[in-house]
Amino acid sequence: MPGASLSRWTLTYFACALACLVAAEVLMVMGFGYPGAAIEAPETLILVHLVAIGWLSLLLCGALFQFVPVLVARPLLGEELPPVALAFILLGLAVLLSGFAGMAGIIVTPLEVMPLGGSLLIIGFGLVIVSLGRTLWAARPLAMPARFVVVGLAALAATALFGESFALILSGLVGGEAALSLLLNGVPLHALLGLGGWMSFTAMGVSYRLLAMFMLAPETERFPTSVVLATGTLTLVLIAAATPFALAAESGLAGMLLAAAVTGLCALGVYGSDMLALYRQRKRRNIELNAVAAIGAFAALLAAGLLLVFLLFSGSLPDHAGALTYLFAFGWLGGLGLAKLYKIVAFLTWLECFAPVLGKRQTPRVQDLVDERHAAPWFGAYYLAVGMGTLTLLVELPLAFRLFAFIQLVASLAITRHLYRSRELLNVPADLRRGFARPHPFWPQPIARKLP
Amino acid sequence: MSTEKVDEIREALKAVIDPELGQNVVDLGLIYEIEVIDNCVVRISMTTTTRGCPATGYLKQAVQDVAWAVPGVEFADVELTYDPPWSPSFIAPEIAGLLGAR
Repeated sequence: MPGASLSRWTLTYFACALACLVAAEVLMVMGFGYPGAAIEAPETLILVHLVAIGWLSLLLCGALFQFVPVLVARPLLGEELPPVALAFILLGLAVLLSGFAGMAGIIVTPLEVMPLGGSLLIIGFGLVIVSLGRTLWAARPLAMPARFVVVGLAALAATALFGESFALILSGLVGGEAALSLLLNGVPLHALLGLGGWMSFTAMGVSYRLLAMFMLAPETERFPTSVVLATGTLTLVLIAAATPFALAAESGLAGMLLAAAVTGLCALGVYGSDMLALYRQRKRRNIELNAVAAIGAFAALLAAGLLLVFLLFSGSLPDHAGALTYLFAFGWLGGLGLAKLYKIVAFLTWLECFAPVLGKRQTPRVQDLVDERHAAPWFGAYYLAVGMGTLTLLVELPLAFRLFAFIQLVASLAITRHLYRSRELLNVPADLRRGFARPHPFWPQPIARKLP
Repeated sequence: MSTEKVDEIREALKAVIDPELGQNVVDLGLIYEIEVIDNCVVRISMTTTTRGCPATGYLKQAVQDVAWAVPGVEFADVELTYDPPWSPSFIAPEIAGLLGAR
């Protein structure tokens, strides 16, 4: 059935994600949270969760609802779940953040609010896992990119459970020596499973397929890709297996994390060479902005890997974990997210507006919906701001960091404006868009109108 | 089988473009086979550049609609196949340069 594989709620997820990105950047410009406050301060927790859940997780969920069906060439099962999951995640995030705000003394909230927020988030992400998991399960045996998504979803579940454990401990509902030890030692595990497992591993899997698709590169399953899958999965298993050490406050925790760093860097190294091979083997000589802008994200990933090695050897990782996380979250994950959004929004808009009349009248190309010449400098500004922001965090210049955060905010807003222009068909020549209704910027069309 | 009819249908299918590459499905090599039975029943075997592409259903429908609209065609059936999988080498040489394909 035409349109059966068009995800209806993906753009709503994207709009919410972009709103959270802008909100987080505004907070950084205002000097809220790290580096103005301590890395473990409740203000920083607000910022971190706004980025990790609001921006990156919602972006990834929206993209997966569209692309898991593409990866497995089957329609999404449980199509009614995405809007319900979104409502739970947004509500859970708001409640969780208000709990942190209570901890910071900004507002007055009962302590039990935090585990309530965590529970709502578990329900929301649980629904995402059920919908995508069923779709993947029905499509076995899975191709390589889809296997990355399976591992990523398992890491998401583990991250959410860790988060809820912390919320229960912080609210005082769960106590004892082991709980305290988990709170003191387990935060890196929560962060690594979230940023490294759920977000990075899933993004890596999807990037294999998306980049090959848009650059016409061969999609053959290569041996190095299975090495990335194996070493990456081993990294996440090592991180999860370190939990008992965190609970018992035993010295083995550092050793486990070091082993995970070694396997993780191996996975990243092979992934990097895979991406390089993909760009080199592409059949499309002139690549589009989404693929060019993604190079900035890969560079940020490489820089983050090198920075990690440097910090490990110099013994200064605890002092600069904030800078490393910032580079990883905004340079690698955020950069890749914005680059791919630039393509996905135009592609989905084309499907919504023009696909139903394909062959019946002249339609624009997907590329006619974007204005790469004017959008490209903003991607440059974004990466430059993130790179300089990382540098200012490393050399501890908080005021300069806020200046670069401002440039990052302006660049993000400009890219968002370009996405809006795509949605509104403002870049399409007037004669080609005449007679076509513009879709709502972020709300799905009623089903009856969508099907031709 | 009428080769004239096949040519007529092939020409008509040039109205259908692949949204991603911006070229018509015939020159892109997405139409594998056109068979005309009794000068009025058409069977088309086609593919897409990527398996599972969200535009697949629309492309198949458009090819069927266009073939059916050719005068004299009473029935058109379109089969989607990925055997062999599409490759940029299927692109007609005259448009390969436009795409920057190599």
